[in-house]
Order: sequence, then structure tokens, then C-alpha cells
Amino acid sequence: MDISFQEVQLSSLTPPQLKMLHDQLDQEIEVLTSSMQSLKGAQNQFNESKQSLKTICPKNVGKDILVPLTGSLYVPGQLADADSVLVDIGTGYYAEKTLTDADEFFKRKIDYLKQQMDKLQPAVQQKFQSRQVVYEMLQAKVMAHAKQQSKK
Amino acid sequence: MANVNKQVKLELQKELDEFQKAQKDIQKCVETRQKLEAQLTENKVVKEELEILEEGANIYKLTGPVLVKQDLSEAKSTVSKRIEYISAEVKRQETSIADLEKEQEKHREKLGKLQSQMSPPAVKA
Repeated sequence: MDISFQEVQLSSLTPPQLKMLHDQLDQEIEVLTSSMQSLKGAQNQFNESKQSLKTICPKNVGKDILVPLTGSLYVPGQLADADSVLVDIGTGYYAEKTLTDADEFFKRKIDYLKQQMDKLQPAVQQKFQSRQVVYEMLQAKVMAHAKQQSKK
Repeated sequence: MANVNKQVKLELQKELDEFQKAQKDIQKCVETRQKLEAQLTENKVVKEELEILEEGANIYKLTGPVLVKQDLSEAKSTVSKRIEYISAEVKRQETSIADLEKEQEKHREKLGKLQSQMSPPAVKA
């Protein structure tokens, strides 16, 4: 019902108007997909942190590790404490958490991001569909126009 | 007649300039509001995390390159205050956006009027 209403309106638009609508949808799609990507990236980071937590366990206390000082400089060290970790909770605050709490923290974040992505996904899909409909209408109009021109 | 037209033209230009200025200001305000809202959500998330922590948990605040230990209650009150401040700031931006939109609408109306005054000679020309 919604779509048929849309089509009735679309067919009354001129090709330049359709083109404008198409470009606008293009922009909206770009914004939405880039948000999706940032969400995905954030989720990946949390996932990595969650995975890294697994290596910090009582079994590994005292083992040699390489601690990154920068991305390309490491110093040797030993794992001294396998009970708690410091977690960045945002705006410059870090909280000391037990391993299980930290694991739950990451799980919570990942789930939250998944929820946000699930909310965004239908909107993206819908925009893609609208763009397709507009594009087809534009094509049809241009073709019709070309035919008329050739008749003359 | 030509003189009147010139005057209308000048006025039209003036109105147009003011209209565009209002438009720019609105855009700026909208951008600021967006940034503030992002900060607000981040702070809300931090507050939620702080609420989950147990009493006496160790909290550190990143100041420059060092982590400084901080009281949980202190951190909570800081974040709450921040949320209060940012919310107020968002409201302030919203009122100024509404005001600017009203102003823009006024300019738009005036522009329309001036344009209708202009159009008859323009058609003749």
C-alpha cells in the first residue's frame, strides 16, 4: 500500500526531480552505511578485547610477555596479576574489574552494538529499495522521452 | 519606476543576505547540538557503567598520559554534573535553533513579498 502510494507520486515527477531524489537517497545511504561500519568496527574492537581476556588467567601468572609501549615497540615483562584488569568505560574513566566482570562488560557492549545495528539494518534496506524504485522510474522516463524524440 | 525598482532590488539583496545568514547560523547550531548529543549519550553510558560497579571499586581517571585514582562517588557526581550541564546546553541550542527558524521564516516572507513587487517589470523586460 505504502509502495503503490509512492509510485503514484513518483510517476508525476520530472526526470530532474527524480535525479535529485535519487542523489538524496544516495547521500542518505552513504551516511547510514558509514554508521553501520563504525558500529561494526566498534563491535570488532570489543570482540578482540574480549578474546584477549582469555589469555589472562591464573594459569599464565609469571609467564613472560611482551608489553607494547607503542605500536612498534615492545618490552619484556611478566604477568603479575591475573585477577583484575582495567577497562576503559568511556570519557577518560577506567574501572578495575575482575575477569568475569570484564567479560560481562564486553558482552554487554557487543550486545548493545548488535541491537543498534539490528535497528539500523531495516532502514538501510528500505533506502536501497527506494533508490532502486526511483532509479527504475528515472530510466523509464528517460527511455520514453528518447522514444518521443526519435518519433519527431 | 526604475528608481523604485532599484530600491526594491537593494532591499531584496539585504533580505537575501540576512536569510542566508540565518540559514548558516541554524546549520551551525544543529551541528553543535549533534556533537552535544553524542557527548550526552557517551556520558550516560559511563554513568550506567559506574552504577553497575560495586561500592569501593577502583576507578581511575585519565588525565593526560597518567591514570589518577578517583573515588567512585566522586566520579559518579562528576558524570552526573556533566550530564546536567550538557542537557542544559542541548536545550539552549534547541531554543536558539527555534528562534533562528522563526527569524528565517520572517525573512522568507519578506523575500516573497519583495519578489512579487519585482516580478511585473521583470516580465516586461
